[in-house]
Amino acid sequence: MKKHHITAIIFLALAGAAAIVSGASFLAMRKPDIIVPGPGVSEVVMLSNWYPQLKGTPGDTEVYILGKGNPGASMLVLGGTHPNEPSGHMAAILLIENAVMTSGTLYVIPRANASGFTHNDPQEGAPQSFTIQTPNGPRVFRYGSRATNPVHQWPDPNVYIHASSGQSLSGSETRNRNRGYPGRENGTLTERVCYGIVQLIKKEKVTITVDLHEASPEYPVINAIVAHPKAMGLASETVLGLEMQNITIGLEPSPVNLRGLSHRELGDFTDTLPVLMETANASQGRLRGRTDEALVLTGKDKWYVKAQKLGRLYVPYDENGHPLEERTGRHLAGITELAFSWTLENPDSALEFTGVPAYAELQEKGLGAFLRPLP
Amino acid sequence: MTIIYLGILAAVLALVLWALVTSKKPSFQATAAMVIVPLLLRLLLIK
Repeated sequence: MKKHHITAIIFLALAGAAAIVSGASFLAMRKPDIIVPGPGVSEVVMLSNWYPQLKGTPGDTEVYILGKGNPGASMLVLGGTHPNEPSGHMAAILLIENAVMTSGTLYVIPRANASGFTHNDPQEGAPQSFTIQTPNGPRVFRYGSRATNPVHQWPDPNVYIHASSGQSLSGSETRNRNRGYPGRENGTLTERVCYGIVQLIKKEKVTITVDLHEASPEYPVINAIVAHPKAMGLASETVLGLEMQNITIGLEPSPVNLRGLSHRELGDFTDTLPVLMETANASQGRLRGRTDEALVLTGKDKWYVKAQKLGRLYVPYDENGHPLEERTGRHLAGITELAFSWTLENPDSALEFTGVPAYAELQEKGLGAFLRPLP
Repeated sequence: MTIIYLGILAAVLALVLWALVTSKKPSFQATAAMVIVPLLLRLLLIK
């Protein structure tokens, strides 16, 4: 055997080993996180229950129903619309594992873009997962991509045209779950998931829909509630309630000309009152330094501290960062306050729950204290 | 569409493999080996 054949075999073996190791790592991301249903969960069904064409696709996802059949109003909470925004995902999980409905029904979709959890955004250096320590051992959660996995939806067009409005966006936005509403029955996977969620809202007559997000600290819409005009009254009361708890939060009207987003299209196409909530996540920001689990969990980043000093940010930022407890706590406080404000105005159609950790409690005890032991 | 894409991908992968095996320059072989990894993962629809 010639010398260059021997080196070729060696290099091929190295390439094969690299492909096996990296392939195993990527495939591991397709295994969903374990969520332990708490005592308040009545039923777990798939989104395909409302839109059967999703069955067996990577877009089908679990819907946790709490207080099924209870009299009163209903709320749908969407976590993981963008799987690189972990506070929404974690807030949804804490609801599932802790909330108990006393009036009304709660629908929680923790992985609203299930496909997005199966991969990472290229060239971002983001971790594949993050670990939260609990009294019963570590719990690992996926840190995914903002968009649907291109393995599941391909190719991207050069220009994404939002179906119901004709709005043009960058081609990659075709895989953005929060640009696809109200969805299309025979559209892309992303549009079909949006369509499935719309069917759930319509068939179950969901009163309030809350879409949980995070944003880069340099993005103007942050630590805020974005509300459709018909949800503005409810959102206003919620903001007042949060401010009374010393949780500073802004209120933004849903832009009329920015289409495909939950807070716009769910309000236009269904009877639900849609709001979207944002917290500050350095790990998805453009100004961040090292991107690792610690950044996801603590939000501590010296470059954001510097950017704050230069007046480039829309949220306060110091050496303490914005830990996941704080960001998740903001979402849970917002959801609790939304339900409270609704019930205050509509006592005959109440929406009430117990067991959800309060903002201060979450800061004090940490997320792990409210996560159930794995089976 | 996907079938055509995968066909092109398989052809490129085969050419890179051929280049790796026939080249007598180790640095070229190493480069080809690195190119193979993402092509293989894409062909298998892993990444």
